Amino acid sequence: MGLFAPWFLAGLAGLAFPFYLHLLKRQTRTPKPVSSLMLFESRTQSSTRHRRLRYFLLLSLRLLVLLLLILAFADPFVNRDTATLSSVRLVLLVVDNSFSMRAGTRLSDARDRAMRVLSGKGAARAQVAAFGSQLRLMTQPIEDQSALRAAVEAIQPGDGHGNFGELARAVRAMAESIHTPIELHLFSDMQRSALAATFSDMALPANVKLETHAVVSEAQTNWTVESVDAPGQVWGKAAKPVHVQAVIAGYGTGAARRTVSLVVNGRTTATKTVAVPANGRAAVDFPGLEVPYGFNRCEVRIDAADAFGADDLRRFAVQRSDPRKALLIHNYGDNRSPLYVGAALSAAAQSAFTLESIDVREAADRQPSNYAFIVLSDLNTLPALLENSLTGYVRSGGSLLIAAGASAGARSQIPIFGARIVETRDYSRVPGRYMAAGSSDSSYPAVAKAGGWAGVKFFYALDVDPGDARVIVRLGDQTPLLLEKRIGEGRVVLFTSGLDNLTNDFPLQPAFVPFIEQTARYLGGGERQGGARLVDAYLDLRNARDGTSNGKAQAQGVEVTDPQGQRPLTLSEVGSAQSFQLTEAGFYQIRFADGRQDEVAVNPDPKESNLDVIPGDVLALWRGNGGQSSPSAPSAQNQSAPGAAAPHKTPQTLWWYCMLLVFASTVAESVLASRYLGTQREE
Amino acid sequence: MQQRFLNPAILAGISSLDLVAKTVVDGFVAGLHRSPDFGFSQEFAEYRAYTPGDDLRYVDWNVYARSERMVLKRYRGETNSPLTVLLDASNSMQFGSHSVNKIDYARYLAASLFYLAIHGQRDAAGLITFDDEIRNYIRPSTRQGQLHRLLAGLEQAEARARTDFAKPMRYFQELVRRRGMVLIVSDFWESPESVIRTIQPLRFRGNEVVLFHVLDPEDVRPKLHGPSILVDLETQNQIEVTPDYTRNEYRQKIEAHLADLRDRTQAAGMGYCLLMTDRPLDDALREYLTLRGVRK
Repeated sequence: MGLFAPWFLAGLAGLAFPFYLHLLKRQTRTPKPVSSLMLFESRTQSSTRHRRLRYFLLLSLRLLVLLLLILAFADPFVNRDTATLSSVRLVLLVVDNSFSMRAGTRLSDARDRAMRVLSGKGAARAQVAAFGSQLRLMTQPIEDQSALRAAVEAIQPGDGHGNFGELARAVRAMAESIHTPIELHLFSDMQRSALAATFSDMALPANVKLETHAVVSEAQTNWTVESVDAPGQVWGKAAKPVHVQAVIAGYGTGAARRTVSLVVNGRTTATKTVAVPANGRAAVDFPGLEVPYGFNRCEVRIDAADAFGADDLRRFAVQRSDPRKALLIHNYGDNRSPLYVGAALSAAAQSAFTLESIDVREAADRQPSNYAFIVLSDLNTLPALLENSLTGYVRSGGSLLIAAGASAGARSQIPIFGARIVETRDYSRVPGRYMAAGSSDSSYPAVAKAGGWAGVKFFYALDVDPGDARVIVRLGDQTPLLLEKRIGEGRVVLFTSGLDNLTNDFPLQPAFVPFIEQTARYLGGGERQGGARLVDAYLDLRNARDGTSNGKAQAQGVEVTDPQGQRPLTLSEVGSAQSFQLTEAGFYQIRFADGRQDEVAVNPDPKESNLDVIPGDVLALWRGNGGQSSPSAPSAQNQSAPGAAAPHKTPQTLWWYCMLLVFASTVAESVLASRYLGTQREE
Repeated sequence: MQQRFLNPAILAGISSLDLVAKTVVDGFVAGLHRSPDFGFSQEFAEYRAYTPGDDLRYVDWNVYARSERMVLKRYRGETNSPLTVLLDASNSMQFGSHSVNKIDYARYLAASLFYLAIHGQRDAAGLITFDDEIRNYIRPSTRQGQLHRLLAGLEQAEARARTDFAKPMRYFQELVRRRGMVLIVSDFWESPESVIRTIQPLRFRGNEVVLFHVLDPEDVRPKLHGPSILVDLETQNQIEVTPDYTRNEYRQKIEAHLADLRDRTQAAGMGYCLLMTDRPLDDALREYLTLRGVRK
């Protein structure tokens, strides 16, 4: 017997407190006035003696509560023979069903091993669990052999990425709630990639004894499609050629040539042969991805001819749709803004928008809601009708980019945006003759991809009062340059300079194209969440904006169809789920809360394709027995019935019992103290 | 129904002593089911033969006319009996375990007695307030405004210092020269022997003396929650006392003390009335009227 934290015994000094309360402290009472003490006599001695005798039991209980509390903190333990605990131990059988267990006969081998251990467990209680990316309990702790065997048989191969750190965390949580020794049997291929980032993450509690059962003894060669780079969305009929790049990887393989195929909707559209170096990678480029309108299920396959066929393909989904329209309203005679903005939009790799440019006189008869977003460039006057129409458009969810240009300085405030114009800044008159961009918010996509606008010269800008708007970029003299403000359900971005080359040289700089492209994507909204994801990733079904500002979208249900065609969300989750975990490889169909539809290709973690195994010494270290058994040659101990291990002392903590006693003593103390108080009241 | 107004707790809500006295007395008198007009008119007693020197005004000339005998018509003598209230205003009188403390109760009592004496009996009434000294003296009188002077004197009677009957007693004898009724209102926290020895001279001078012994319920049955420290309001002495003592020994002592005081008072030919401050005032008024009837 001992104490895990003996320094808490210093708390024993606190035992003096009840003594002080009960025996030493004078009973301080408020003196009670009486008319005369003529007939009273002092009874001090008798009252003190009476009090001491009467409260002795209460004092004892209080001392006991304190003592047990201190003991609980000191965490006492007793060393008990493991053998004596065998009758109350829990045999936990964990079968690895991560994606790599699909290789060859790994999973069936693991189940067979588990069956053998199960048959030799004797009368001990057992529990079966499957472990992919997380521990999934298949049974409760039971002794019924048939139920346990059925649970082992029911374990199916999964697509998750195993992580022994996660396994250890789950077992630690179990050990906190189960106070009996746990005999953990792990049936796995002991993949090296399943090791946690740090070994301490895999540490198991003292009452858990780990037995590893490796179903493979050495690394196996494997080919895989490691990654595919393809756009998630292509626009229009005359879209530019779409490239699909795939990386083919070999693990433990020699140099070889592999045939790689591009499959679109089940039809092979292109085939290439690539030379892959020994134990290396090679990239394959398919230059023209032809996909019809709508969602397309695509795959890149290789002829691997290895034992792990499940990882010889990688899926991705591509959607083809028409580009959306954007409207640029400019001043009469201003030809530069449409030119530069239109060129930048068309120069973007995947142009999702077609720009329509009109001057302000033609704008009155346009319906703003027909456009994904609208750009106002250099407007000195804005007709009231158009301003009202645009304000309503923004409030109902539309997006607007306002470029102040050189003419807006005559106004007192920016229309629609509402910012007050403080003054105009003409930098062509200052000594440097221009001003560069100063601080910028790099989290804003339009700025992040434009490289912070380094080297752009601004000759003219408006100094506006930002108010409650978010300032994204400031010039070197702190003049706000790019601001964003939410108005109603829409958003307005204000650029206090112009989109031509008169007020700055931005349109002539390379940063202009990504700025326009990202701003267009941001304002146009509807960024596609689909494309390719990894198993166990989470997909946002409702974005934060839906939750805060669009109650209608929040109330609508979402719909998810998994690769098997099932709908995994329950009725309550359909109406409330914020995200969804993609647990299987394949194509998911999703209808989001805002009504958009999408298709997501889900692939297993590429780390599962590396079939290298954990070295024996590392496994021995994890088991904590210094390498007495190795995974490649399971010892007689591993093969023997569980619980028959050589007896050794295992410290078993008693703090739980201490806390139970503390609780019981506290209840007794409360009852007794309340009874004494009741007696005093009666007096 | 009117008895409700004699409840001290209700009287405590009335700020004016005048109104308190009127409420108490009217309520009390109504409760007697008699006419409130007591009418102390002269009543015929007897005839006596005239002897030289008698006052001729009392000769019944009607009898002389019929029988030529001179007889005097005698009437039952009507006396004005001055009432003097000796009010103890020592610190112990400010003790109270409920809404009315002893000094307040004594004020209500004295005010009611004054009201009854002046308005009801047309007696002269006076007040002596004392603790260990004579604090205030209002000569008995039937003059206009006497009741207001007495009530003002009661209002000014603040409890302070300690009780000492012996010291002010010699002044009592000088102040109470005319025979009458002397009502002593006090909690009498002194030995009965000492109290009677001090007060007895008033009786020897022909006064009717009544002791109104005003006590709070907790003076008789103190309530203690566990061992307590008790402070004497007059001497500020402190002692620790247990509930067991107050439940047993103290109760025996206080009962013996009360019985001793009552016996000694009655043995000395004086009246004694124990008044608890949670009880109505009518006992005291009844005692006064009984005493007044005896003197008439």
